[in-house]
Amino acid sequence: MVKMVDIKKELGSSQTVMLVMPGTEYNETVVDTMKQLSGNICYVTANKTFDSLKELFVKNKVDVANVVFIDAISKSLKKVPDQGEGVYYVSSPGALTELALVVDKFLKHEFDYLVFDSVTNLVTYQKVDMCAKFLTSLVEKTKKTKTKAVFYAIGSVKKDPIIDKVAMYVDKVVESGGKVEVKSGVKGGSI
Amino acid sequence: MAKKILVVDDEEDIRTTVKAVLDKEGYEVKLAINGDDALKKWSSFKPDLILMDIMMPGTPVREIIPKMKGAKVAYLSVVRTSEAEKEDLMKSKNVVDFIQKPFDIKTLTTKVKKLVG
Repeated sequence: MVKMVDIKKELGSSQTVMLVMPGTEYNETVVDTMKQLSGNICYVTANKTFDSLKELFVKNKVDVANVVFIDAISKSLKKVPDQGEGVYYVSSPGALTELALVVDKFLKHEFDYLVFDSVTNLVTYQKVDMCAKFLTSLVEKTKKTKTKAVFYAIGSVKKDPIIDKVAMYVDKVVESGGKVEVKSGVKGGSI
Repeated sequence: MAKKILVVDDEEDIRTTVKAVLDKEGYEVKLAINGDDALKKWSSFKPDLILMDIMMPGTPVREIIPKMKGAKVAYLSVVRTSEAEKEDLMKSKNVVDFIQKPFDIKTLTTKVKKLVG
């Protein structure tokens, strides 16, 4: 059984956390994280479709009544409107400007939490440098609000360039399994 | 005569790796970088099977597939879909399989062998 991260505790002391996990622990970690977070959540997915996430959450009894999804996947796969009940669709995970505009709009609504799923999936659709620019800008924008953010990353620290780049900006990097890297709080610095 | 396979993926690493694996298995392999490129190459190459990434830049794959009348397509997908979505994607007569990325060489070769012999 996977040892789960106490994400609520982590977010209690750090506004932005990157949660790094192996692919095999993804489903379990995502479900557990959502069960821990209470309040209004904005869930950005560049990984699973909204329907697929909904299926996963319903199956695992995760309450998604207070969750608004931004789905960057479904529009490329099937015909969907710009928005549905509890979901806003973005044309593609590679459309970073469009994604940034939509997320900005949602950040203005002062959600309690922003969940970004995932940092590593984004690089499947765009160059690492472009993704890093988008993600670091998102971290900085989040820090100007009261919203706390969790950035999922599938892989491992020091092996994925995108994880390394984003790690320099988030307040804390937590590796599933217990390893924790605490940041100094200074942009670009670490202890 | 070797069976022909068209590998369509916007990621160069995937294209070259899949080609190397299938070349070794004795298939004749051609590559395309997206759906539009695949459409151009399909009519002249006439592949027995198309291995196509489900999400690529350019014209959406769901608009490309119906234009390839009679083609046999297996999707390659890094995206996780719901069961209902998968069923929906497989509804098209052309689509014969759905291969989840990442896949191992054995899974790929077994599936390809099953689909084209």
